[in-house]
Amino acid sequence: MKAREWLARHPAVALTIAGDSSLQDAARLLLDHPEGRDIFVLDAEGHLSGHLGLWHLTSLLLAELRPTHSLRELIERITLGTVAEHMDDRMLCVGADEKIDDILHQHDIFQQQVERRVEDLPVVDDQRRLLGVIRLADLLRDAIDVNT
Amino acid sequence: MGILLIGLLLITGLTLGVLVSHFFRVPRVVGYIFAGILFAPEFLGGPLGAETTEWTRPLVAVALGIIAYLIGGAATVAQLRHLGWVIVSATLGKVGGSFVAVLLGFLLLGLTVPGLPGWILALLLAAISTTTAPAAIVAIIHQYRARGPLTTALLGMVALDDALALVIFSLVLATLETTGFNAAIPTVIWEIAAALGFGMLGGLVIERTARRLPEQELQLVALLGGIILLTGLAEAWHFSPLLAAMTLGFSARLFGGAHSEPLFRPLERLQEVVFVLFFTFAGLHLELAVIRDHAGLIVLYFLLRAGGQIIGAMIGARFAGAPRVISHNIGLVMLPQGGVAIGMSLLLTGVARLEDSATLIINIITASTLLTETLGALGTRFGLARAGEIGGTTEIPRGEERDEGP
Repeated sequence: MKAREWLARHPAVALTIAGDSSLQDAARLLLDHPEGRDIFVLDAEGHLSGHLGLWHLTSLLLAELRPTHSLRELIERITLGTVAEHMDDRMLCVGADEKIDDILHQHDIFQQQVERRVEDLPVVDDQRRLLGVIRLADLLRDAIDVNT
Repeated sequence: MGILLIGLLLITGLTLGVLVSHFFRVPRVVGYIFAGILFAPEFLGGPLGAETTEWTRPLVAVALGIIAYLIGGAATVAQLRHLGWVIVSATLGKVGGSFVAVLLGFLLLGLTVPGLPGWILALLLAAISTTTAPAAIVAIIHQYRARGPLTTALLGMVALDDALALVIFSLVLATLETTGFNAAIPTVIWEIAAALGFGMLGGLVIERTARRLPEQELQLVALLGGIILLTGLAEAWHFSPLLAAMTLGFSARLFGGAHSEPLFRPLERLQEVVFVLFFTFAGLHLELAVIRDHAGLIVLYFLLRAGGQIIGAMIGARFAGAPRVISHNIGLVMLPQGGVAIGMSLLLTGVARLEDSATLIINIITASTLLTETLGALGTRFGLARAGEIGGTTEIPRGEERDEGP
């Protein structure tokens, strides 16, 4: 099955935000949509420019609860800027015509490289416009249903 | 034999560090230092075949290079702008205050030690006095759930001031390694310019290389290899290894942008290992007779550093228009001094002119670090409480107290 067919069968809301938004706005967006785990940052033309995950966002906003900090994290804790300053601009994007079977393999390799937890995989067109997201949870549900 | 001793130091340091902090509620560094004393050449080190401590030099150089790299990569240019003038000015005041107070104090009192001109002793102690122990301070902030303007300024300052301290220490070392004023200027210029140039170039190469490596384990190899290579080049071509490593970190962060975390996270995990090595190595050099004979110098260093940084930080903060709650407390809450100071003093054992007196300086710094980690921690707690920024105590299980970090 191709990614675009998957999106048609498993529609999921892609959470998007502008790069100049605050981290608190990003957190509110995630809390308002508890099924979402990742926020995608769009530029002025609507192209996908970055990603911010729940885990990363939580570690930034709840930094004061952590007992130890590196120097880098200390500065980060008191200079919380905009979403664009913390987003990952290197992401695993799925092409609309890519096969679903290949996606998990790519996802595993990508996570080894960037050490970031990504649960909603963005599907984009040729111009890098966001078409939707493939949820890892849906892939898992689908795999269990097929096996049973 | 060095390898066996390093293993013994790490394991014994870990064991004693955890035990003393659990049973006696004292900083872990006390245990680390005791582990070092245990394996000093005159105790167990001798029978184990380690009659000297010269074998520690390359390890200290690399370990301090790792710390300098992390300090250099602590902030981006954009973050420095965000920090604001109060933090920058108070940091400059604090660093300048402790440096000037220790330097002038030792010079004016004419304090000297055998085999070392008074001005060199004063200059070295003044440079080392500018360091702080971020981990100890952050742990107190966490334990007492401190929050407020003073806490925010404190977090920014502890992350910044060791960078200034490394620059000052590197300049002092560069000056000491020359003879005469005329020879000093081109030497110092080369030491700085080459360090900055090689550091910037190295950071670019490391960032581009790490970006193409698929696994974090390989990235760690590239990072450690880059730091060790640069430290070796600095030794061979006589430029400042600490400035170079710090610039390497700054450059890697600059070119890595939002993706620089993998360039720092693996080494941040090594930081505690580095500090265990520093404190146990300091213990190897520790001689109780030296401390007893120079107790006055140690107390004087502690008092001059404390007074200088309290007044300097107050002036710096007031100059930038900081509120009273910051200017009157910020110097006091930054008293703890830790691993970076110890690392700097250990590095002196490899400086040609200081071979005989390096041990004495290590003893002064180690003893004063014990003072600042205990009394200084009380000062941090008192300053935060006086500022009304202590919210409550975070329950920490016994044996997991985090306010003992270097």
